[in-house]
Amino acid sequence: MSTAAIGQAYNYKVVRQFVIATVFWGVVGMAMGVWIASQLVWPDMNLDLPWTTFGRLRPLHTSLVIFGFAGSAQFAASYYAVQRTCQVRLYSDKLAAFTFWGWQAVIVIMLISLPMGYTTTKEYAEIEFSGAVWMAVVWVAYAIVFFTTVVQRKTRHIYVGNWFFGAFILVIAMLHVVNHLSIPVDWFKSYPVYSGATDAMVQWWYGHNAVGFFLTTGFLGMMYYFVPKQVNRPVYSYRLSIVHFWALITLYIWAGPHHLHYTALPDWAQSLGMAMSLILLAPSWGGMINGMMTLSGAWHQLRTDPILRFLVLSLAFYGMSTFEGPMMAIKTVNALSHYTDWTIGHVHAGALGWVAMITFGATYHMVPKVFGRERMHSTPLINLHFWLATIGTVLYIASMWVNGITQGLMWRAINEDGTLTYSFVEALQASHPGFVVRFAGGVFFLTGMLLMAYNVWRTVRVADVAIAHREAQIA
Amino acid sequence: MFDIVLNVLGVLFLWLSVEYCLRHETAESLDDASLTPFADDPEVARRVELATGKTVKAVAPETAKTGWINLEM
Repeated sequence: MSTAAIGQAYNYKVVRQFVIATVFWGVVGMAMGVWIASQLVWPDMNLDLPWTTFGRLRPLHTSLVIFGFAGSAQFAASYYAVQRTCQVRLYSDKLAAFTFWGWQAVIVIMLISLPMGYTTTKEYAEIEFSGAVWMAVVWVAYAIVFFTTVVQRKTRHIYVGNWFFGAFILVIAMLHVVNHLSIPVDWFKSYPVYSGATDAMVQWWYGHNAVGFFLTTGFLGMMYYFVPKQVNRPVYSYRLSIVHFWALITLYIWAGPHHLHYTALPDWAQSLGMAMSLILLAPSWGGMINGMMTLSGAWHQLRTDPILRFLVLSLAFYGMSTFEGPMMAIKTVNALSHYTDWTIGHVHAGALGWVAMITFGATYHMVPKVFGRERMHSTPLINLHFWLATIGTVLYIASMWVNGITQGLMWRAINEDGTLTYSFVEALQASHPGFVVRFAGGVFFLTGMLLMAYNVWRTVRVADVAIAHREAQIA
Repeated sequence: MFDIVLNVLGVLFLWLSVEYCLRHETAESLDDASLTPFADDPEVARRVELATGKTVKAVAPETAKTGWINLEM
């Protein structure tokens, strides 16, 4: 092993802040999800207040888990990994601190404005005009910090994980700005510059790529750093990782129209979206296999390392949901699945199984290092969290599959005279057992998240300055 | 026809991008790049070297500077 000195210590303060924010917003956002799941089981849980109705809390749940939990996790992981793979301190402590407080302000704006009913009504882009502008400002600061750090690197090569983080930052900036182009009439009221089918197409170009870039590409960057690091093996094929990157970037951006099958969108655009979605299976599985095969010769570590278990299971769910997605994009399958709970189950296979699981693994990896501990407070608690999260995810997606197919079949059933066999309410009643199981799955998942919060708190409470100091010098 | 043209352009873009990124890379340089996550962590680098037989070009810790570490949130 050859050695050479590097001259700077890493900025772990902002990483610590984002790690804590990840756990905090994870608890709040998932609790919000369990609450709205309970409303579908017991409608009285909407409390008969306008601020706590399903219609207002559902976008709050998605905003908190996507931007609060997943967003903070990606800030933390990208700031951690880019410093370590570039062997240079993060550019500008002040700008990095601004991205933390600025991003928390974005989440607080969502937390207040969405229950009050201020919304663009665009899915995953509900934050109204002023909030959206502020979000763009923070994102530009993030891009400056990240890319300047890459430019100032001490290493010759830009590690592939940073390519994924970089693409995530650039594409999200483009999507956010284009989808939010609107005419403001008030601080929190605006009208989009698009109308009709064009508005729908722009929204779902954004909506699908929010999944593709906010909930996939950044997390693949996380995978390419934390899986090799946790398993102590280099990524299976570096060449494949480069092909994976370009294939994903090339294809993902075209898949949005599959959200608008059988609508006023031109048929050719729907077919293009379907074809691109099917081709997307190749890079998705290429990346998944690359991550999985990184464990070649080290599978035995899964017996003793629950953090690695989180990372590997997240890849398994990634593989599963990226197979399910293209299948659901086929127009004939979509005719059955669209508008049913199958879609909700598919989203949560990705959100719980992939995004949350890899975030848990990465967070458990980072926390001891950035807070100066040898390891997490309790490894058995990580193991218990793993099983709670796994059982919760399986309950959630299985119940939504059953519900989705039931709903799809009941809605399309017709009598000989052409009238509907079932009313909507009959399909709703048939869905009730599935809503109960989904609620139970959510409770399992949230309990695991609370255990994580406790474990992180116990680890952070005894943070060791000396070890954190040593870690941040090079590690 | 239009979607076929788009598909062909997509494949062309993908091929050119991958070729451009790999233009100066050799098997050895890609191997080195894949070891980047371990390069700033000599302890882990040693374990990776033992497990894979590859050489990690790791960096060594420098002397601690006073005043930079800050554990407060």
